Amino acid sequence: MGKYVEMVRIRFLMMLAYRTNYYTGILIYAINIAAYYFLWSAIYGGKSSMQGMSLGQMTTYVAISWLARAFYFNNLDREIAMEIRDGKVAIELIRPYSYLGMKAVQGLGEGLFRLFFLSLPGLFFVSLFLPLQFPGHAKTWLAFGLSLLFSFIIFSELNLLAGVVTFFTFRNEGLLRAKRFIIDLFSGLILPLSFYPDWAQQLMAYMPFQAISYIPSMIITESFQGAAVSDGLFTQAAWCVLLLFPIALLWRVAKKRLVVQGG
Amino acid sequence: MNAIEVEHLRKEFKVHKSRSGLVGAFRDLWTRRYTLVRAVDDISFAVKQGEIVGYIGENGAGKSTTIKMLTGILTPTSGRVVVNGMNPHKEREKFVRTIGVVFGQRSQLWWDIAVQESFRLLKKVYCVSDEQYRRHMAEVIDMLEIGPLLDKPVRKLSLGQRMRCELAAALIHNPPLLFLDEPTIGLDVLVKLNIRQFLKQLNERYGTTILLTTHDMSDIEALCERVIMLDEGKIIYDGSLERLKERWGQGKRIAFTFAEAVTAAFLQQLTEGLEVVWKKGEQPNVWVSHVPSGGVPEVVSRVAARCALQDIRIHEVPTEEIIRNIYEEGAVHG
Amino acid sequence: MFYVSVFFQYMAQYMKTKLQYRTDLLIEWLSDLMAQAVNLVFLLVVFGHTTLLHGWSRDEILFIYGFFLVPYAVFGAFFNLWDFNERYIVQGEMDRVLTRPLNSLFQIVLERMELESLLGAVPGLIIMLYAGSRLSLSFHWYDVFVFILFVIGGALIYAGIFISLATISFFADARTSIMPMMYNISSYGRYPIDIYHRVIRYILTWVLPFAFVGVYPAAYFLDKKEWYSYAFFTPVVGMVCFTVSVMLWNAGVRRYRGTGS
Repeated sequence: MGKYVEMVRIRFLMMLAYRTNYYTGILIYAINIAAYYFLWSAIYGGKSSMQGMSLGQMTTYVAISWLARAFYFNNLDREIAMEIRDGKVAIELIRPYSYLGMKAVQGLGEGLFRLFFLSLPGLFFVSLFLPLQFPGHAKTWLAFGLSLLFSFIIFSELNLLAGVVTFFTFRNEGLLRAKRFIIDLFSGLILPLSFYPDWAQQLMAYMPFQAISYIPSMIITESFQGAAVSDGLFTQAAWCVLLLFPIALLWRVAKKRLVVQGG
Repeated sequence: MNAIEVEHLRKEFKVHKSRSGLVGAFRDLWTRRYTLVRAVDDISFAVKQGEIVGYIGENGAGKSTTIKMLTGILTPTSGRVVVNGMNPHKEREKFVRTIGVVFGQRSQLWWDIAVQESFRLLKKVYCVSDEQYRRHMAEVIDMLEIGPLLDKPVRKLSLGQRMRCELAAALIHNPPLLFLDEPTIGLDVLVKLNIRQFLKQLNERYGTTILLTTHDMSDIEALCERVIMLDEGKIIYDGSLERLKERWGQGKRIAFTFAEAVTAAFLQQLTEGLEVVWKKGEQPNVWVSHVPSGGVPEVVSRVAARCALQDIRIHEVPTEEIIRNIYEEGAVHG
Repeated sequence: MFYVSVFFQYMAQYMKTKLQYRTDLLIEWLSDLMAQAVNLVFLLVVFGHTTLLHGWSRDEILFIYGFFLVPYAVFGAFFNLWDFNERYIVQGEMDRVLTRPLNSLFQIVLERMELESLLGAVPGLIIMLYAGSRLSLSFHWYDVFVFILFVIGGALIYAGIFISLATISFFADARTSIMPMMYNISSYGRYPIDIYHRVIRYILTWVLPFAFVGVYPAAYFLDKKEWYSYAFFTPVVGMVCFTVSVMLWNAGVRRYRGTGS
């Protein structure tokens, strides 16, 4: 366990070393959210609510979605793909830890850093001049925290899966890019899923992507009430577990191939 | 005319000193501490046209930094650099037409395309006419024996093959001055020999001036009459390799293989008055004596007169060792 | 003239390399299409719930988006600077670039060009045609030239901003992740500028002039007379932006310290 905690710490230090990133990151986050706010005000155009959400809720939804993204987002798929291509995976495999586990922990270190030192200051900054609405109930916050953690796990699992898949394909820049856009679109990052046509919503309900962004953002804006909250959390938890199977399976096959081919 | 003139050249880098630990990293976010590092510290030298000069020093002694300033990649902090009559970083584009550069650790060639396609591109970039190219490159390709490699993509070449192609690529415009940064790193002996021979021919036929850095002393011995030695950014020796050896590598080593066991005291007594130092060799019954120049015949005859010998071998002190000694003792005043 | 002939030489080599990886080309193009689809879906879904965006109709907004894709494709083909810091500064390829007798920025443009990105302009043109015909826009023969001029202006604005961002690598020892974030901001130039607060309007017009790659020039073709003066300013802003970035670049190269010692 200690070595994984150490990895989180190292990633933290690495991120801190790049301070230009840090300053501009906050500024750009703020501009981003502000622009979204105005865009949505124009879309609402005086209407008090759309799809059961007020403009205030929508602004909060967008701000939180991007905040959450800073936490769960990582480039593990690319890193794994690169390490497979350069043959570094073979070296990683002889180290005394779980390769995929270590990758996930690195992602967590980065995510925590961005959450506390980019997103939260950014959010505070934005809330000074935009009408964000935050819930007063401790229970909502607790549910949101849990939901956010699930988001991270699911997103990382998808990344690990994509990363391992690159072991079986040749040149996979396109594949990884496509995955990213699918997640942006179907996770509810750019648009709450409730805005999509019914048939699309039904389709998305069967995919893991909504568990990444839509569920936590709906929880914190209190657009989910009562049973919907626990249902959402349950869906996330289920995906967390379900995604483990294909990863474990593919990784097992990949490792075997690696041993035979020597990288 | 001098190919390279350097006066009081200096390059300083500002290096960010990070505080330790997480708390330290946070403090670094707001205030940073810097230290000034002098990579090259007030050096002056000149290289005549047609010379082959070895530029040597340990890792971090400032070799690469100097080469980068001479080739116009880095701007000096202070001092004067004139290479081929120009100021490298001021007139960069015009200047680099007159030099060739090979970085041993970095490829000049395009990874995915055939070697000759890379050559064609470079030919265009350096504005070399077809006529010039055919005449000059035919020779280069022949000397480096890379004819059969030309239609292969670079990623399919071995390191030795690639290195020879890199050399050819740096010579497309037949530059009068060639910079080589670790050209033989990681190569096997045969390729090294081929490259050295080629560089010698190049120097003789076209009068190409060559400045090379290397860690391999056999490169220096095979190619350079003159060496410039750097330590912590300062020149500690500039002169002929011969003189360096004379001053620092005086004397010879004789390794005796005796037929039976002998003792150090016995040998010491045998060569009394000759300033000989005896050391036990690695094999059984082998003893090595370090003998001042001119003392070899006397030592051999004294030992042979008293002991049964199986073998005698006489060596010069290897350059590597001379260099090591110099670094250990500090500056040379030669 | 010399630069033009070198350009074609590089392009010929580029084709040879790319033809070796044809399937890759296809996949890359498809993923580009998908990136565009994401934005398109956003617009279509939003207009499923509203008819006007601050007085601009769905087709008008679609037209702006279609127009935007064209300069963006041109930019993407020639100014592929996403991994400049990684590739040229950290891995030290900049050293090699500086030992060649060509302008360093020009060399990097040549080495990194991705002509297949130009294909991204095709969906843009299709969207423009679709939206344009539904709006029954009037079209003059000289509009072709105006269009080309605006596209070049827009591509230069993008180039200028992203070259300037790449230049940061010369000054700070930072791995910049600013570029993807900037990409986000650039998308706000595709919406009617009057929906924003004046601070953001000011930023998108004069600081990071992304509005000149979307709404302003498109307004000309949409016959929105009140924006004409801005629209015709597009090529000028492009030139200024690009010139400033080249000057910054040159200053950066002078500051370049190289990797290690």
